[in-house]
Amino acid sequence: MSDIAASGVPVESTAQRSRFPVHILVFLAPALVIYTAFSIYPLIDTIRLSLYAGDETGARYFVGLGNFTTLLTDPVWADQFWNALRNNLIFFAIHMVVQNGIGLGLAMLLSLPHLTGGSVYRTLLFLPTMLSVVIIGFIWQLILNPLWGIAETLLQAIGLGSLFGPWLGQESTALLTVSLISVWQFVGIPMMLIYAALINIPDDLLDAATVDGAGPFSVFWFVRLPLILPTLGVVSILTFVANFNAFDLIYAIKGALAGPNFSTDILGTFFYRTFFGYQLQMGSPTMGATVATAMLVIILIGVLIYLFGVQRRLQRHTF
Amino acid sequence: MADVSLHSIAKSFGTAEILRDINLTVDDGEFVVFVGPSGCGKSTLLRIIAGLEPVSGGEIRIGGRRVNEMPPAERKIAMVFQSYALYPHMSVYKNMAFGLKFAKTNKAEVDRRVRQAAEILKLSALLDRKPRELSGGQRQRVAIGRAIVREPSVFLFDEPLSNLDAALRVNTRLEIAKLHRDLGATMIYVTHDQVEAMTLASKIVVLNHGRIEQVGAPLELYRHPRNLFVAGFIGSPRMNFIKGQVLGLDDTGATIAFAGAQAEVRTRLGALKAGDEVTIGVRPEHMAERAAETIALQGRIDAVERLGEASFVYMRLDGGEDVIVRAPGDEPAVPGERFTAYLSRETLYVFDAAGQAVIPTSRSML
Amino acid sequence: MKANVRPSRIAVHIALILYTILAIGPIVLILINAFKTRRAIFADPLGFPDARTFTTIGFDRVFSNSDFGLYFFNSFTVTIVSLGLIILIGAMAAWALTEYRFWGNTLLSLYLAIGIMVPIRLGSVSILQMMVELNLVNTLTALILVYVAQGLPLAILILGEFIQQIPKDLRDAARCDGVSEYRIFGSIILPLIRPAIATVAVFTMVPIWNDLWFPLILAPGDGKQTVTLGVQQFIGQYVTDWNAVLASLTLAIAPILVLYLLFSRYLVRGLTAGAVK
Repeated sequence: MSDIAASGVPVESTAQRSRFPVHILVFLAPALVIYTAFSIYPLIDTIRLSLYAGDETGARYFVGLGNFTTLLTDPVWADQFWNALRNNLIFFAIHMVVQNGIGLGLAMLLSLPHLTGGSVYRTLLFLPTMLSVVIIGFIWQLILNPLWGIAETLLQAIGLGSLFGPWLGQESTALLTVSLISVWQFVGIPMMLIYAALINIPDDLLDAATVDGAGPFSVFWFVRLPLILPTLGVVSILTFVANFNAFDLIYAIKGALAGPNFSTDILGTFFYRTFFGYQLQMGSPTMGATVATAMLVIILIGVLIYLFGVQRRLQRHTF
Repeated sequence: MADVSLHSIAKSFGTAEILRDINLTVDDGEFVVFVGPSGCGKSTLLRIIAGLEPVSGGEIRIGGRRVNEMPPAERKIAMVFQSYALYPHMSVYKNMAFGLKFAKTNKAEVDRRVRQAAEILKLSALLDRKPRELSGGQRQRVAIGRAIVREPSVFLFDEPLSNLDAALRVNTRLEIAKLHRDLGATMIYVTHDQVEAMTLASKIVVLNHGRIEQVGAPLELYRHPRNLFVAGFIGSPRMNFIKGQVLGLDDTGATIAFAGAQAEVRTRLGALKAGDEVTIGVRPEHMAERAAETIALQGRIDAVERLGEASFVYMRLDGGEDVIVRAPGDEPAVPGERFTAYLSRETLYVFDAAGQAVIPTSRSML
Repeated sequence: MKANVRPSRIAVHIALILYTILAIGPIVLILINAFKTRRAIFADPLGFPDARTFTTIGFDRVFSNSDFGLYFFNSFTVTIVSLGLIILIGAMAAWALTEYRFWGNTLLSLYLAIGIMVPIRLGSVSILQMMVELNLVNTLTALILVYVAQGLPLAILILGEFIQQIPKDLRDAARCDGVSEYRIFGSIILPLIRPAIATVAVFTMVPIWNDLWFPLILAPGDGKQTVTLGVQQFIGQYVTDWNAVLASLTLAIAPILVLYLLFSRYLVRGLTAGAVK
């Protein structure tokens, strides 16, 4: 194809190209086809399915928003849905405060000028993020297992032995424990993004602030923090989407039932149970689609708040 | 107002020695320019005076006080950065007022000083703008304004003009000179551009490889460069260097053979001996003077640059050396043709094998 | 000034070292105990294996009771094929969107950007139905198609920003020489985006390798399990066999660990390059 164009009369071939840009189509088509067929179409089809109900025979009929009414009001569904949503919000809040807080702190330390061993720290601190959530879940399950007792031994060594309990097994502590395991794994992401933003601030700017008489705290509060706000916004929305889409960790540690007594149930596990069924309840594709659509709406609300409420106000600075 | 003095300043990063044994006094109200090629340590020296870089040895005094242990803000200095270093999230006003916040200046006083500085720098209409809404020249002025409002004893400039286009650079240069006259403050200015150094400085410090090569008034450096480096660095186009050899000596000077010619030049007694290899230096502007007692050097023209008021003739001498001659604007030289450069004995510099000037410093030059 | 820098630097290093221990301690703990006898795992969990406690019995059991080699092959195939397709197809689209001005350009870019924020997982109900109809359930093809669709949006964004930085003169010079658009892409742009591939790899390869959701839904059996799913199923079965559990976890971690430590320089550089904005 290229040979034809190259050997043809240049003027003619450019004229032809500008009349019908076949090459643009050729470049775009594969991506558009795969993306549309396996990403956008399924999402739209899922929304469509959420408006139908099915019976045992597999026949489907249109029920409008009936599934959503069931989901939000029917005691069997609503209790589980609101429970999962509440747990998911707690899951998110813990990530925002602990994960992003520690990430910010580590990024600040790593961005100190002339830090020896900086790249070694970065590599090691980011390591857990690279591993599978499932593997991480099992690792922590073993470590926190009272049978093995290693967590208890270590806590005793620093004098906190009395705090130890079967954290993953107790209704009151399971969600917090699972959240902290997730925080432990993903702290590398905010750390890296914030670190990149911090080292992008020109040294001159920090020097100028020092000459202006700002101490380390003032330099952080008046110069560095305002300049990394856009990155903190990005980190927040990434955390939000990841948290409201989480599934693997809880499935690996607690199974689809997200025990004890649904105390670790979040929208991802709720979606899975609804779709595939569990124990005595049959799975329902249409109710599954309904839960997925509800999750989609929640995520879209979050993204829209970010795009129109947060991002517009945060001026991205070029240096 | 204050003077600045540096005593045996040394600085190294790890094993790399950046500055060695720097001794310098900057008098109160003086405009001192640090000039030198990139990597010579001039910016590091400025940052040391600012307090942004700790020294490895030596003492810094500002206004008579030792300031080695003092943070930048207490040194009564202000600095203008090459990149301007304006806070991108603050308005022009806030940029200028930022430093005063930490000096615990009261609001009315801050306002007075910011508006006054804005007045001086013609920024009054732009106080509410963000840096990204300003042109390069305006940003530059805000950076200077931020220094002015602090009313420092010493202004430090780190290549402040290098990000401006040529026309704006000349303008701003004049403004900085005017600012110095108006404020009368001590200013230390770093540049790699010898034209900026010559035009602004009351005293130039030439640095090379972390050492001071020479300190002096601009014309003094031009007329009496102490060594090959300064001779080559100050002046544009740079001084021509031609290899030569001492033929003989007498009471008043030496006879030196170079480029197929001979010249008697006055030198310090005993500085040279017969047979020594030397370098003859002569500035392009001193090579087209057809007066009595001139030395004629023959060669072939490689290229001619016509600037209007002058023509630069690039020629290869028959001895093989390439030189530049600043000829009158109407010089009818043509590339490929032969050309004769005329040198006067009085305008020759002689440097010994170690690169040190051996011409007595007392001689007068045109 | 220098005097008060030192102690604070030491405090910084203490804080970083403590957190580093917290970050990699659990992983090291699994790795060292995988090579110890059951007795030693419980008696001395923090000790390194020595001549007396060393054993590979866990690994023997994993290999005899499951098809770990096959799982690795599956994961490897899915990840590499997906990554290759994402990079090639993504680069083509990124090139078209950044290079040519045509009607609908911005709209298309926005359309492709939806996938960055909206997780494709939420379409699982429909994806499963589609795979059933296409007869692709329990095939690696199903996984590859989904992962390519999932990875494309971010890859196009990253590659697009990268392609924008390639000097326009380079392409215009080629056009003046009469080189076709296809060849400009193939022999000028593709070789030049090599540095961006590391970045794309971090963001697409790792999630694919580690994913549990789609293997669980689309290819849960018939020897098409990926490592992540395989380990999950294996541990579910042998939960009380500590040697086997620790060995299976070690096997799942090891390849990523080796690859990460070998290429971490590029990964970290890609992450901090500011390509994601």
